[in-house]
Amino acid sequence: MIPHVRSGTCVGVLTLLALSTTAIAQWQGYPTPGIPRRSDGSFDASAPAPRAANGTPDLSGIWMAPRIRVDLAQGMKKGETVPFTAEGKRVFDERRATNSKDDPGARCLPTGIPVRATLQTPLKIIQTPGVTAILYESRTQFRQILTDGRPLPKEIDWPAWQGFSVGHWEGDTFVVETVGFNGKVWLDQVGTPASDALKLTERFHRRDYGHMDVEMVIDDRKMYTRPWSTFAELLFQPDTELLEYICEENERDSARMVGK
Amino acid sequence: MSQHARLLLLAMVCGGVVAAQAPLRAHHSFAAEFDSTKVVTLNGVVTKVEWTNPHTYFYVDVTDDQGKVANWAVEGGAPNALYRAGWKPTSLKAGDRVTIVGSRAKDGSNLANATSFTLADGRCLFAGSSGPNGEATSNCRQGGR
Repeated sequence: MIPHVRSGTCVGVLTLLALSTTAIAQWQGYPTPGIPRRSDGSFDASAPAPRAANGTPDLSGIWMAPRIRVDLAQGMKKGETVPFTAEGKRVFDERRATNSKDDPGARCLPTGIPVRATLQTPLKIIQTPGVTAILYESRTQFRQILTDGRPLPKEIDWPAWQGFSVGHWEGDTFVVETVGFNGKVWLDQVGTPASDALKLTERFHRRDYGHMDVEMVIDDRKMYTRPWSTFAELLFQPDTELLEYICEENERDSARMVGK
Repeated sequence: MSQHARLLLLAMVCGGVVAAQAPLRAHHSFAAEFDSTKVVTLNGVVTKVEWTNPHTYFYVDVTDDQGKVANWAVEGGAPNALYRAGWKPTSLKAGDRVTIVGSRAKDGSNLANATSFTLADGRCLFAGSSGPNGEATSNCRQGGR
């Protein structure tokens, strides 16, 4: 029989486990240094956002969505719908009809940048002068957002899964623009499409130490009649580290995905 | 049993309760491969464990009423999700008796996506897998004993 355990007890147990020195393995539970804590040692998520040496907010840290979302439409403002073109609708409907069996992400290929903010998998932002890197635990993906002042590439002679990203600050918001996509990536797991005409603009705003709002503007006139926005929230993850994730090691699903 | 081991054991029991907060890896569309309406309960002995990304696999010999043994493959969550929920690679190992509740594969093979694992001593472990809508499946109480 399973003992009857209330969730409050569980939180206590898990906390004890986290504090027990022998439980600290692969740095899960190792206290993140330098973050604001209350007198009882717990992380103070409502403390002010930290600042980098140049005065902008510092987005560095491990972040994760509070809950999983595999459909970007769920992050749109109330009442809004995805403004598909006829071609966009055709591609999306085809993917829905086959339950996303052809999702490149299921074959360990890159996932769409927007859905990475909502998949509830940890990502680590490393903000430095000249470049901000995002390390995504899932599938061991990384991005470089160049902030050295260079413009977006004018011509794309080698389109890429993740495109080419540059970033700048507008007040306290970090604005990332990305172009040069290869047209193969799915924006999310339900199959929201993107073509090589995609321009993605992400706006990161760290409201306080523990919370970040992300707006993602999708501008792809082959798939959508106008730019549209989807929103996500990221929560700072204290006392943890990224784990290894070698997706190709044992990927067996794609061969068995019948779709219907 | 050391205090740490006891805590770990309790944490595993708790896994089913706190699983709603546990991260998971939605590596693929659930509905493309599994049918959540075809629930299967597998009572058997673990023959092999694959602690691998993007999914863990647990192979289980299940004996039917006629004494015929079939080996089932059970897909669990990513090791990363299970690890953060308190599992270790040795939490379930070859030779362990286990009851697994899960959803059958649409291709009709002896394959299921785990909802919960219940050990011989009654401990119910969070499956860490993704449900039909990408949510963490954590119904140890409804699916387990």
